Amino acid sequence: MSDRYTDIKNLEKSFRDKGLKYVGKRIFNRESEMKAAGETIYIDDMRIKGMIYGKILFSPHAHAKIIKIDTKKAEALPGVHAVIHYFNSPHVVYNGAARFYMDSSPMDMPRTEYIFDETVKYVGDRVAAVSADTQKIAEQAVKLIEVEYQDLPSSIDFNKAVVNGSPQANPNGKDGSNICGEWLAYGNATEEETKESIESAEFTFKDTFRTPRVHHGYMEPVCHIADYTREGKLTIWSSCQNVFCFRDVIARALELSQSKVRVIKTVSGGAFGGKLEVMHEVVAGLLSMRSRRPVKLLLNRKETFISTRSRHEAILTVSTGLNRDGKILAQHVESRLNTGAYAGAGPNTVGAQSEKMFVLYNGDKMFYRGASFYSNTPPAGAMRGYGSPQIHAARETHMDRIAVALGIDPVELRKLNVVLPYKNNSLGNNMHNALIKECIETGEKEFNWAKRRKNAGENQSGRYRRGVGMDIAVHGNGWFPVYQDLSTVTIKMNNDGTAVLLTGTHDLGTGSRTIFSQIAGEVLDMSPDLIEIIEADTDITPLDLGAQASRTTYIGGNATILAAANLRTQLLKEASAILKLDDSELIIKDRIISSRNDPQISCSYTEIVASAQAGKYGVQRDLTATESFESVNSVDSYVAVFTELEVDINTGKVRVIEVLPVHNSGKVINPLLFEGQVNGGVHMGLGYALSEEMLIDSETGRIKNPSFGKYKMFRADQMPKITIRTVESPEEAGPFGAKSIGECATDGVAGAIVNAVSHALGNVKLDRIPLTEEYLKSVIIAKVAADIVIEENECE
Amino acid sequence: MDNEILFVELNINGELKYLHINKKWTLLHVLREVLNMTGTKYGCGTNDCGACRVLINGEAKNSCVIPAKNLEGKEIITIEGLQDNGSLNTIQKSFVDAGAIQCGFCTPGMIISTSALLKKNPRPSENEIREGLKDNLCRCTGYVKIVEAVKLSSVRLEGSIG
Ligand code: FES
Ligand code: FES
Repeated sequence: MSDRYTDIKNLEKSFRDKGLKYVGKRIFNRESEMKAAGETIYIDDMRIKGMIYGKILFSPHAHAKIIKIDTKKAEALPGVHAVIHYFNSPHVVYNGAARFYMDSSPMDMPRTEYIFDETVKYVGDRVAAVSADTQKIAEQAVKLIEVEYQDLPSSIDFNKAVVNGSPQANPNGKDGSNICGEWLAYGNATEEETKESIESAEFTFKDTFRTPRVHHGYMEPVCHIADYTREGKLTIWSSCQNVFCFRDVIARALELSQSKVRVIKTVSGGAFGGKLEVMHEVVAGLLSMRSRRPVKLLLNRKETFISTRSRHEAILTVSTGLNRDGKILAQHVESRLNTGAYAGAGPNTVGAQSEKMFVLYNGDKMFYRGASFYSNTPPAGAMRGYGSPQIHAARETHMDRIAVALGIDPVELRKLNVVLPYKNNSLGNNMHNALIKECIETGEKEFNWAKRRKNAGENQSGRYRRGVGMDIAVHGNGWFPVYQDLSTVTIKMNNDGTAVLLTGTHDLGTGSRTIFSQIAGEVLDMSPDLIEIIEADTDITPLDLGAQASRTTYIGGNATILAAANLRTQLLKEASAILKLDDSELIIKDRIISSRNDPQISCSYTEIVASAQAGKYGVQRDLTATESFESVNSVDSYVAVFTELEVDINTGKVRVIEVLPVHNSGKVINPLLFEGQVNGGVHMGLGYALSEEMLIDSETGRIKNPSFGKYKMFRADQMPKITIRTVESPEEAGPFGAKSIGECATDGVAGAIVNAVSHALGNVKLDRIPLTEEYLKSVIIAKVAADIVIEENECE
Repeated sequence: MDNEILFVELNINGELKYLHINKKWTLLHVLREVLNMTGTKYGCGTNDCGACRVLINGEAKNSCVIPAKNLEGKEIITIEGLQDNGSLNTIQKSFVDAGAIQCGFCTPGMIISTSALLKKNPRPSENEIREGLKDNLCRCTGYVKIVEAVKLSSVRLEGSIG
């Protein structure tokens, strides 16, 4: 590996030296013309001959045992094909969030899901499903299914679920509790030492912070199509993020061999982690097997809110001990995540969150303790940030409270404590090109931090109060070193000298297909639009581990370089035989290989392919290259977020004026797409900070706001100005120096907003998000009352 | 009678379509499921997201809540009807060039809203653009490049007229 690795780095350098042609260019998303025309076929637009429609009966109970299901009336309805439920379906346990076929670690991925189970564990859990000739008939049929339930004690409210002795939401909870998996606890000192060091420090701070359950809010509702044919082959189309793991899970749940299951990703109408885990594909598959017809299962928007995945609600307590200068001596984070009714990604999200503890700040003693807990609510799962937005919101608001208390500028407090490039962090890991300090300094200047902060601070009377705040955040690039992380890419030359690239990665509208075409184009000196990119089809494309962990550009991009470099070598070798020149004497330009000294001595890719196929200089062969890239470096992307906003103290309404993120994502491969990621990440972060929350009735377990009317995502007229800045120094390990952006774009937004709102309100303590008008009004009223008391005391 | 079937004549993208429809069917249902015109998207079905927008007599409307039977005699334009002799029109091209399209699921609705907006107000201010797009949700772009695309469209359209 390491030789190959050095080779590609040298190759990259040779391209950089002569000037990059495609990498770093503002090339629009290659899918956008089709999309602008309305001609892109998303999954709901697919029409398959003979296709019928599926519908799921969702549980109205938060926790209940199914005693009896009577399907006679439903089956008798004309047009109904199949009715499936617990009593007539395979009962194989799985985890829809599984990533590796052999992943059997109970800590990481406990298997707790079934296609249908004997108990339902949240309002929205699956009870039964039907297939029918039309959507309408399927809807009528599920209403005719009669189910007898026996209510079970439930833990709906998260405060209740985490308490020992509360009813078990899922029988897999550890030792009768709701703990999912195990507590994860580690640091560079023991927990006891860390706590002692915090207690004995000159300054000690402790804050508890709550973050909400939010939904991805992708615009394309969840939809799957399954087609099971006489030959025993099941094809599943899904707008998803992880076809290979889907194949593994679906084959397991339906007791099929993997050669009989093919999963194909469709064009994504938005995902953000919400389509990373197997959801109802198994139901669509089983309905198709029973009906022997292609079945489409489309969730309406309400169902998409109640029966998919969401971001883990969290309660975090951060404690820090510092000396007078503001240097962190010790820090402890204790985190509880609400994984909902099933394990899913719970323990793994805790693991991902724990890493963020150590790669942003240094302290002599750093310790993280966290666990996920079951509750009788919809399952949480992967969502852009994956544990990261929660810990950043909690810790960054805590850091600001420390800054205020110690009278240190928030910017200075962070500069004093952040990790440094190429130095070891508290766990002894090399931090690579971690330029967080430069991000802070750049933002300080570009945002005019000192002046704006001061102006806002001096202007805090009247109805509208200005606040200026900032925070910092970090996100990884792939799974290494926690798990293996690899991706394979195949590139094939066409006869006319163009190419096809096969990758198991998933473009979620992020533009990764465009990115790969730029990278391959650079290496092959071929215009990116001449390279077709075929993605994520388990029977056709090579293995990839899914669009998650901010790994697509980093891992897939490196695999693309390896495959393209291999192909380039083959092309050069054949050209060298044709032109009777040593490859060192050859240069490539626009798919022509020629003599360095005499451009007249040349041959085109077309001629080279023809020569190879004819076997003129060796065996007859097709010019293709397949390479796997394995990650051997753990690197992180960083951001510092600056913001200014205004709070209306009469209503509690916040108007955000500007957000300025400074990203350290290494070399930006396509600024246009990069900016799109940042803008979208800010949008998602603003909703997280201010308006979005899935509200669950603590008595019934029902979601109270399952619509875009009631679940408030930011609209165009509410968005602030977004000013993007970068610290672009290349990261050696990344493809052409690139690091990730997708998740980092949203990780730090909420903390900065909370800090600015607190600043606007005279450094008031805020201990949760979202900062809804209602919540802020209560904070403002309490603050006014407290201020009056203080004034009175001062008068005495 | 819920299942009453009606015969209607709808003018869609300049073509008259003769259809047997259920009186409860929405325009969105008729477009997508009867006519197989899938450029118009289902995002919510509850009048909240704008993914299903079409032009009805030049006004941008959410087709998911409009019964198709009420539309006889009206001029309906969908995303499929905006092209210029088979090529992307100025607004569509501007969305591409501005990088305003990520997953693209909101795009047809956004382009429809932009068409209505620019027809009424060819040189909208930034605030007017944002006001004009506030009924269209997008989860990918933060609306930044969409607003830029509208500005670009406005400049290009003005140029072509002037
Ligand atoms: S689908 Fe019509 S407004 Fe959302
Ligand atoms: S581009 Fe994805 S929703 Fe707008």
